[in-house]
Amino acid sequence: MSHPLRIVLAKVGLDGHDRGIKVVARALRDAGMHVIYPGLWLTPEAVVRTVADEDAEWLGLSLLSGAHMTLVPRVLQLLRDASLEHVGVMVGGIIPEADIPKLREMGVAKVFGPGTPLDEIVGFLREPRQVAHGS
Amino acid sequence: MAHDLIARFRRHDRTALARLVTLVARGESFPELDAMLAEDPAMKPRVVAVTGSGGVGKSSLVGRLLETIRQDGKTVAVLACDPQSPLSGGAILGDRFRMGSSIYDGLFIRSLAAVGGRGAVADHLPRLLRLLAHYGFEVVLIETVGAGQGDVAVQQAAEVVVLLVQPEAGDELQWEKAGILEIADVVVVNKGDLPGAEKTVAQVRGMLDLAHASPVAVLRASAKTGEGVPELWRHLQSLSPKVVPNRLNVSLLFDRVAEEAARRAAQLWSQHDAAVCEIVANWQEGRLAESAAVDALLNTLRSHPEA
Ligand SMILES: Nc1nc2c(ncn2[C@@H]2O[C@H](COP(=O)(O)OP(=O)(O)OP(=O)(O)O)[C@@H](O)[C@H]2O)c(=O)[nH]1
Ligand SMILES: [Mg+2]
Repeated sequence: MSHPLRIVLAKVGLDGHDRGIKVVARALRDAGMHVIYPGLWLTPEAVVRTVADEDAEWLGLSLLSGAHMTLVPRVLQLLRDASLEHVGVMVGGIIPEADIPKLREMGVAKVFGPGTPLDEIVGFLREPRQVAHGS
Repeated sequence: MAHDLIARFRRHDRTALARLVTLVARGESFPELDAMLAEDPAMKPRVVAVTGSGGVGKSSLVGRLLETIRQDGKTVAVLACDPQSPLSGGAILGDRFRMGSSIYDGLFIRSLAAVGGRGAVADHLPRLLRLLAHYGFEVVLIETVGAGQGDVAVQQAAEVVVLLVQPEAGDELQWEKAGILEIADVVVVNKGDLPGAEKTVAQVRGMLDLAHASPVAVLRASAKTGEGVPELWRHLQSLSPKVVPNRLNVSLLFDRVAEEAARRAAQLWSQHDAAVCEIVANWQEGRLAESAAVDALLNTLRSHPEA
């Protein structure tokens, strides 16, 4: 029997634009997923804490502030520290093309650029999971 | 694996706690879990349901309340039963994550899917509360919208029901709410920073005087300014458990019946008890319908008083 997928969507960093993440949150909810959105301006510690308490299978990080190359590794490290390497991580936002392979290397399962069709995100999450990050 | 989960839970591993909350909320069970839940927890948490219509300020007030409770040195679990919003959790957390980590060590916040809908969390709430009790939480706050059947079940599982209302503009209390007032042990007029709050307090008192025999406190608070929140917490603590024994968990009691029956049946089965084995075999081979098998097993348990 399948259960609604539990996903935390979080913004880390300092920008205050949450329209995009709320649109994604609604789309995923409408697709039957259980979405937890813990709010703006979260620290990496707070994000990981939420993922832990919510027993989430996925974490979607939204970053517009350009700090992805420091914030994403920090979150991944904290997830490993909390023995949460089974949680899949996807990243959305404005990420330069050149950084995508680096993020994938670190263990990010998928990077979605701005304007990604919502169906594509839903479809991705519905695919069977292959590997967790870290190792 | 299952055994390991319970062992980790007993060592206060939060990941294990989070996992078990998921499993229990889905209605899953396994023998080690059932055995633990059948034990009496060392301490029972104060279970408070916070209910009220959409936008009245439940999440904001719960957020304030948990600050006060943590400052009081008590540990608290929050269950947010939110059928609608994909933003659940957000309103409670707000910017509290910046308050420093000592607050979080004794704090667990979990959003649960719709109480009434698919998944029917409310059905499993008594077990969920026992689980949180076993972890050692001293207070459990449950946020529900308070309309559907699932919400009523949540309120029945709680010791104390706090109903939130907000100042109304007109003369008449708009609420279809005379009815819902009856479930409340405490009424809080939230958004007490807005005009009209004092009048609403008076109106609610008036309605309660008409409807109720037992005294229900009507407090004014503001989740925005924090005013009235310490007083609310003090009041919630002052309510003696004796005030609420009738709603204190008839459903939990029934749950215990089921748990106890399952435990004893499993034990007899593992001891190869002849009667139990025969019933099971007959059921497995289709000679006994499930309901008949259940009846037969219950009868067998009766003749083995201390399995
Ligand atoms: N002025 C004022 N506004 C408040 C107060 N408490 C909450 N609000 C505002 O009311 C709105 C709803 O607050 P929430 O805490 O999300 O209300 P809720 O009852 O949890 O809402 P749902 O979960 O959607 O049913 C928010 O915009 C809050 O900022 C208060 O005491 N005073
Ligand atoms: Mg709310």
